[in-house]
Amino acid sequence: MYGRKGFKLISELDLYSDILPFNVGCMIEALIKEVLQEMQSLYDANVANSNAIRNDNNMALLPSVQLRHIALKRNKRCILAYIYNRMRKLKELRWELGSILPPEINTNLINAEVQWFQSYNKSLAKYMRSLGEDHGFNLTTNMVPPKTLYVEVKCVEDFGKLELDDGQVILLKKNTYHLLPRSVCEPLIRQGILEHKKYVSMEFPSYEQETQTIQLRSIKSDD
Amino acid sequence: MDPCEVEFLSEKELVSIIPNFSFDMIHLISGSVGPFRAGLPVKVPIWLAVNLKQQQKCRIIKQDWMDADSLNEAKEEEKLSKLFTKMPSNHYMEEAQLLLNVASDDISDADRIKTAIKDIWDIRMSKLRTSIDAFLKSEGLHAKLDHLTAMEINSVRPLLPHALDQMLRIQTDGRATQSHYSGTSQ
Amino acid sequence: MENNGDVQMTAENDDQEEEEVTAQSVLLAIEEAWLNEKFAPEILPHRSDLVDCMLQQITHMEENMKRLDKEDLRLMIHRMELDRIKYVITNYLRARLEKIEKYTIHILSQEATRSSEECYLTVAELQFAKEFLTNIEMLFKTIALQHMPGNFQTFEVDTLTVKPNLQTYVFLRANDRINGIIIPGSMDEEIDLEPGSQHIIQYSAVADLVKSGAVKLI
Repeated sequence: MYGRKGFKLISELDLYSDILPFNVGCMIEALIKEVLQEMQSLYDANVANSNAIRNDNNMALLPSVQLRHIALKRNKRCILAYIYNRMRKLKELRWELGSILPPEINTNLINAEVQWFQSYNKSLAKYMRSLGEDHGFNLTTNMVPPKTLYVEVKCVEDFGKLELDDGQVILLKKNTYHLLPRSVCEPLIRQGILEHKKYVSMEFPSYEQETQTIQLRSIKSDD
Repeated sequence: MDPCEVEFLSEKELVSIIPNFSFDMIHLISGSVGPFRAGLPVKVPIWLAVNLKQQQKCRIIKQDWMDADSLNEAKEEEKLSKLFTKMPSNHYMEEAQLLLNVASDDISDADRIKTAIKDIWDIRMSKLRTSIDAFLKSEGLHAKLDHLTAMEINSVRPLLPHALDQMLRIQTDGRATQSHYSGTSQ
Repeated sequence: MENNGDVQMTAENDDQEEEEVTAQSVLLAIEEAWLNEKFAPEILPHRSDLVDCMLQQITHMEENMKRLDKEDLRLMIHRMELDRIKYVITNYLRARLEKIEKYTIHILSQEATRSSEECYLTVAELQFAKEFLTNIEMLFKTIALQHMPGNFQTFEVDTLTVKPNLQTYVFLRANDRINGIIIPGSMDEEIDLEPGSQHIIQYSAVADLVKSGAVKLI
């Protein structure tokens, strides 16, 4: 049945939410090759039939030609849809993870996709730089509504002095309570120095925002 | 729209606080706040009130309408009325959650208030579901939604417009030739 | 923040009061632009005037904040407000980019029919859109199209165009009084909108009103 491979290609999109490996020798590459091969043979058959129709006036061949034509279009649509949806996922990753993809994902991309990603990056960076009359504005931060994150913690082990981002120095003595930025607390909580007293609302200029600012600066400087 | 985005919008509403510090007027881009005089009430946006409260720099005064008795009266009115009654705030649900969560020690009767508001919400949501059902069945093309609040509208946002779209599609599919709507893949 | 805050202002702050009312109204306008863009199926005329103005306000404020003492209460408060404003601007612009990426071909062809005064995209957005299309074309060509037989190799713009569904239903609040809106799909039934009233209706019936600011999407 024509189009079965094309359909299989599309169903891969549904089955896996991650980007599958698309490199030389892998399943996806093989599938696409098969679909292209099918297209080629359908096309060749149609050329032959069209000639027959023209030369010998053999109209009986017409339905076959039409059928193959539809199958050809469908196959094309399947392949392009597959590529397009991988691209959409890639695009999402740019916004989620930043301009440099982790190696696990990079190895799953075909060259053309790596190129696409770099071009998209460049395009996006250029656009962001142009904002605010060329002062630049990073659109990849501030994506969620800001709230303040202060975590109420109890110090369970003597720790001594702790310096915050803004220069403030806190003395963490056993059995004292503090209201501190979450980004500062989390590592200390993991180490057992602090423990959660109560989860309050959210946010403080987090160090994630700082990292993003650094990224924007490096985007700005490469041309 | 994400509920946290609706909440974001509601945080612009003003609320009275009593600061425990004094400070001159602060000129924000969205307007001026203050001056702050320790012990004297001042109105600030909720996002600021919650923040100051978390840093133990103020007490929060409940909104005028956060009175358990009058809320319970409103609840009865809502039950009796076929239409939606006007709520004291377009963001009554979010304001209640934000303020009562962070300042339940400042607000007497917090529990009774919470319960009354939750009850009102339930009654209205149930009314909303019935209205939508009727609307869809009558193949409504337009409806007036006065007195519906932001969070309530948002709660039907995924369902209602989508259902109406689907109905429209089914209706026009017969007549349509080739048309591309958003959502179809290439 | 409502203007009741002005009541507490002293006389010396007159200049600042004027500035604040302007910045304040720009902020409100940007918030409205954000929600409109978020809920409208098609891309709306750009408001880069508002964006540029607000970004300038932010830069200004951040400069002023550098001069404040670290202990100053204002530092925290201004920072919070700036985060809020940045959030609105970011999401306004991202909503637009998402539409540009989704409806690239359609948007570019529509934009081509508009004069420079009527254009919906900023210069930078237009550039971004063109580059986005070029990049997709390259991606398709390299992986697939060039390996296809005959004229299946073409990047068929018509087949690949995705258009927004203008008949989608939207929620709106009327800013002004509006008379005589024709309900699509009815027998030319008309409705009037009272200022402040809320409605659900097909976007196509109110698209122009959204763009003129007579109604806002909620």
